[in-house]
Amino acid sequence: MARKLRTSALLIFVAAVVGAVIYSRIVAYSLAPTMKPADFQGLPLWEIPIAYVWDYLQHGIICLLFAFVAAGLFYEFLPREWVVKRMGSRKAMGYIIGASIAPLFTVCSCTMVPIFTGILYAGSGIGPAITFLLMAPAANVLTILLTGEIISWEIAGVRIVASIVTAVAAGLIVSSTSWGKKVENEHRVAVDKKASMQLLKPPLDERLWGSLKFGGYLAKQILPFFFAGLIAVSYLEAYLPEELVSGYLTGVGGVLLASVIGGPLYTPTLVEIVLGRGLMDLGMTKPVMLSWLMGQPYDIPNMMATSKIVRWKVVLTYALIAWVFSVVFGLTYGFLTGSL
Amino acid sequence: MKEVVVEVIGTEPPCVRCQSLWKVVEGAVSKLKSGRERVKVTKLNVSSKETVKRYGLVMSPAVSVNGTVRTMGRVPSEGEMLRILTEALGE
Repeated sequence: MARKLRTSALLIFVAAVVGAVIYSRIVAYSLAPTMKPADFQGLPLWEIPIAYVWDYLQHGIICLLFAFVAAGLFYEFLPREWVVKRMGSRKAMGYIIGASIAPLFTVCSCTMVPIFTGILYAGSGIGPAITFLLMAPAANVLTILLTGEIISWEIAGVRIVASIVTAVAAGLIVSSTSWGKKVENEHRVAVDKKASMQLLKPPLDERLWGSLKFGGYLAKQILPFFFAGLIAVSYLEAYLPEELVSGYLTGVGGVLLASVIGGPLYTPTLVEIVLGRGLMDLGMTKPVMLSWLMGQPYDIPNMMATSKIVRWKVVLTYALIAWVFSVVFGLTYGFLTGSL
Repeated sequence: MKEVVVEVIGTEPPCVRCQSLWKVVEGAVSKLKSGRERVKVTKLNVSSKETVKRYGLVMSPAVSVNGTVRTMGRVPSEGEMLRILTEALGE
């Protein structure tokens, strides 16, 4: 009985969070910050981040809550055994799963590298491993929900498509290079057929509670840096001259610049979205934004961690591919929508 | 009476959840009413080739008992862990 009560309470909570988001849609309540750079320029130095963060919280808290709850739920309820078996076997399936399931494995960064090495050693090989590696930070639940809310759903949608194409292409290309194959063969491990998996399935209320706890865990990891990022962005919005932004971060040159900076520049999870939004308020155009966002998977810390496993030649190959695609997608999107 | 081998599979160095899992396992073992001396708990590195060779792709943190992975990608409650141990001891 207590179990059923708990389950109902947790389900009601989840429904309430989803309801809040839907409600905000219906009454057209923006879940993104609404203050503009001009609003900040008159404020005293210490007040700028406070005003910005407050503006953000007033609108974005529902979105954040929803994003972390959703992330936790997806993570808990995705069929782990099934996924792990498929990612650990034939090639084609590996790519499909890497591209489609990786987004649901929200960035628990301590799980990403082990899964990457697992796919490389035991599973479908270097191609799907790279696809997974590029897909997970680019298009996971948290990132897409926040991109949609803070920037636009159009860009979020394009980001998903662009990430899938880039991740799969990078995987396919790397697995066809001689150095990619060499790494794959070096690391290939024959998995013991005897080992088995018999996962214990806890009751629903424990799973729901576990999802919320995991969402909370992600929030604890991500939010402190996220808020530090917000503070930094608030100063940018107040002081970065618009002419600088519209001069450098628009048009074809803007796409190229964004792809080069957005890549190696390390930003804590989700900060690239807020930073991008700030730059957009200052005049950055949509395709440049896309290029900027697409740089997320190939930042320096990421590349260094991966280089310890697969060597620099492979890392540079996929980084180059990711860069090329971020430029190509940025320019294509710009031409198609005429927004360069 | 057979030994029960419990392997806690996590990252090296252990991430927060891997550490929690270790504590849960230790806690569960300490609450065993009998059979404690038959339980051997060790740590495995999820990314090491030896682990991958034995278990393939595993989402850390994970726990395996006598060669079978019982939980993966989450930290089970002490109650669950206790159930798993008791089951294994009974076999």
